[in-house]
Parts: sequence; C-alpha cells; structure tokens
Amino acid sequence: MNDPYSVLGVSPSASDDEVKKAYRDLARKYHPDNYHDNPLADLASEKMKEINEAYDAITKSREQGGGGRGGYSYGYGGSAYQSQGAGQSQGAGRAQYNQIRALINANNLAQAEAMLNAISTHDAEWYYLMGSVYWRKGWMDQAGQYYRTAATMDPSNVEYRNAVQYMNQGGQAYRPMGGMGDMMGGDAACNMCQNLICADCCCEMMGGNLIPCFGCR
Amino acid sequence: MYGYVRPVKGELKVSEYERYHGVYCGLCHTLARRYGFSCRFLVNYDFTFLAMLLAGPEQPDICRRRCAVHPVRGVDCPMSAASLETAADMTVILGWWKLADEAADAKAPVSWACRAACGVLKRHYKRAAARQPAFAEAVEMNLRALRRLEGEDGASLDEAADKFALILRSIGEGQRTEPLRRITGELLYHLGRIIYILDAVDDLPEDVARGGYNPLLRRFDLAEGKLAPADAKTLRAGLQLSHNALAGAFALMDEGIYSGIVSNIIYLGLPAVTQAVFSGQWKASAKKHRERSSI
Repeated sequence: MNDPYSVLGVSPSASDDEVKKAYRDLARKYHPDNYHDNPLADLASEKMKEINEAYDAITKSREQGGGGRGGYSYGYGGSAYQSQGAGQSQGAGRAQYNQIRALINANNLAQAEAMLNAISTHDAEWYYLMGSVYWRKGWMDQAGQYYRTAATMDPSNVEYRNAVQYMNQGGQAYRPMGGMGDMMGGDAACNMCQNLICADCCCEMMGGNLIPCFGCR
Repeated sequence: MYGYVRPVKGELKVSEYERYHGVYCGLCHTLARRYGFSCRFLVNYDFTFLAMLLAGPEQPDICRRRCAVHPVRGVDCPMSAASLETAADMTVILGWWKLADEAADAKAPVSWACRAACGVLKRHYKRAAARQPAFAEAVEMNLRALRRLEGEDGASLDEAADKFALILRSIGEGQRTEPLRRITGELLYHLGRIIYILDAVDDLPEDVARGGYNPLLRRFDLAEGKLAPADAKTLRAGLQLSHNALAGAFALMDEGIYSGIVSNIIYLGLPAVTQAVFSGQWKASAKKHRERSSI
C-alpha cells in the first residue's frame, strides 16, 4: 500500500484535525453520489477505498487500536439497477428485464440496447431502461426524454420519478472553488430582474415606461 | 477552433496566467516549427486546453520566444513538451477539416477563400495525419457521419453531438495506462458534447434566418426564432449532466503541472461561457475583441 499520508496529501506531522479535513475533502470528491450511474464509478470506488484505508491506517497508528473512521463508510453498492418489486411485467417478462438490468450494470450497453429493441411492446419499464442505456452512453437529452415518458406512464413508480427529478435538477457533482460555476445559470432569474429594471430606466429616459409607476398615475 | 474552452482570467493567479499564455504561444510556435508559418493562424484556446490536459507530470524546459505579436519582451514558452506537439498535429488536422466543411457550406466569396486555404494547407494536413493516424481517421469518419446525419430527418440532438464527441474521445486513446485512457476519453467525450451543443445554440439565430441545418431545430419547436425558456432549461440541465460527468472524470486524474489552470477552465470557464452563449452575450461581443482581451 502507498504511504497513507501521501494518499491523503498531508505531511506526517499534520494534526489530527488536518488529517480529518483532508480525508473529508477527498471523501467528498470521490463520493458515490458524484458517480451516479457513471462508467468511471469503479475507478472512483477504488480511490474511495484507498483513502478509507489510508485514513484508517493513520488513525490506528495514532490511537493505538482505537478510532476508525466513524461513519464515513460510503457504500458503492450497486443499488442502481436491481430488479424492482411487482407491477412491471406487462410488456416483456420480468426475467428479461432483469437480464437487461444486469447488462446495463455490467456496462454492456450495446447488448442491452439490442435486447430492448427486440421487445415490441413498450411499457414504462422499457422506457426507463432505454433511458438508462442512453444515460450511460452520455446521451443525456434522450435519457431525459425516455425517463420522463416512463414516469408519465407509471406515475406511482418511485424509481422513475427519482430519475426524472435527478435529471431536472442537473444531477450532482464535486465542485471545488466555492461551489461556483454551474451550467444551469442559477442566478438567471435575478439577472432578468436586473435587466428589466435597467430597461425600465432607459425607457423612462426616453419617455417610455416599461414598469408602470403606480404612484404617478 | 470554437473558443468555448477558456479560463475566467480574473480568477487565475498571475503565475498561472503567465504559464497559460506561455502554452498558447508555445502551441503557436510549435505549429510554425512543425508546419510552417501558414499554420500559425490555426492556434486556438481549445487545443491550448488539450495541450495542458495531456501534459505529463514533468516540468518542461522553458525558453523565451519572440514573434510579431510579442516582438520586444517575448513570452516564456514550454517548447519541449510532447503534448504541445500532439496538440499542434491535431490542430492542423481538425483545422483543415473545418475549412473543408466551410468550403462546402459557405456562400461564394467565403467558400472560395476556404477552398484556397484548404489547398495551401493540404500538404501540412497530410503530414499531420501521418503523425496522428488514429485521430485523423476518427475525425474523417465522424465528420462524414455527421454530414450524413444532417441529411436525415430522424437524427436526434444526442446522436449528432455523439459524433463530434467521439472525435474528442479518440484523443484519450493516446494515454499511457488503461484507466487514464478511460478517464481522458470520458472527459473529452463530454467536453465534445458541450462544445457541439453550445455551438448549436450560438448558431441558432443565424441558422433560423438563412434556413440552414441546426440540430436544435429538430429537437425543439422554436418560439419566434428562439428557444422557449422551458426548452432552454431542459437543454441546460442536459449540459449540466455532461459537465458533471466531465468534472467527475477530471477528479480522477492525478494532479498535473497545469491542474490549477485546467480546474479554472472546467469549473469556472465552461459555466461562464455557457451563461454567455445562452444569454446571447457571446455572439454580441465581437469575436476579435474577445480574443484580444483574453490573451
């Protein structure tokens, strides 16, 4: 194993708090939530294991047999595409869908897609799994369309609903630099107000009035 | 090439800015050295980013270079870096294909100019393609596929973006280890997607006006020649997901000598450019002005 201190990027003389902080930062970086259905999830999980082991080794050597990480054992368990309960066996057989889920989990997308294309009746589960194939391929726009269709066809299904919600809010990722920089333009509404107010000022100078001033009437 | 991949200058350290400038100028000098003066004008921010992303962990030798733009003081450039040579080869390959595309697409005087430029650059293109055969093949194959898709009615936005993204993904194949090939490929795939979609959004008003091809026209119903706010939101959520995947891949890369600048470009530059493209400011600010003010 590599030197646990270099894994966490701290010097051996670092205080317990510094070690803990470095560990937490890295755990946040490689957190499984950031690699939701991601083709690189296995590599992230290896990194996570590495830093967990490094942190364990350091705390153990410092506290002589005590400690441990205390609640930071993030699971990379494959909760993603396990078979669902009842209520989804109209179109194709449950067994067939489970087989497709297993293929998607193993990143065998071409075969999963071929099997889905061979099914003629498209129920909600079919749309959901097709969406999952597109998601894994990185075709985010199409994935969203298929997830939404699945959720519309079977509004009671929590898995489909969660997928749609996850898509709509733009997922989750590790973002350093003060959490800045998001592609959705979170402050767009605010900018719009500003622009509107500016436009109003301009118009008023030219004799117009975009936002009518009630007091003046 | 497109110029969407650039840092937010105000957030760079002064030393980072100087090194970024050095890589940009280094790419320009490498183009001149490997392909001659005529290829210099192909230098761009996107491949500057690539040169930094692919740079190894070793510090390159720095030498001071002068040119017509910096005649007196010159700029400290990392001239020995292998990643600069790779980036220069790829710049020539993609640049040539882009010109060929313009020559086929544009109207009379512009298309003549592009065809002439293509002719001048042809032998350089051949040399670059011999140096990077896999990349040249990926570019040719995927651009042809993209052309075909433009003529088909059923092609989706993702399918079109996929072709462009695959060109960038192929660059990852040159990495040393298997995990690094996967990580770089994934990062560049999503970068390609983002560039393609931003370009489509940027070109939309123009394409609507002249009735040209735009992948967004098949995906969304426009309201008065513009994306409806709800559709823009959907599109940006999709871009965010690609950006997440890109950031996730970047987090798995080892710290490199340009990590600070590359982080700036990924976490700050891309979102800022996206905001500018969607708000229409990108087109509005003159291209020339933008380029001069950034470097």
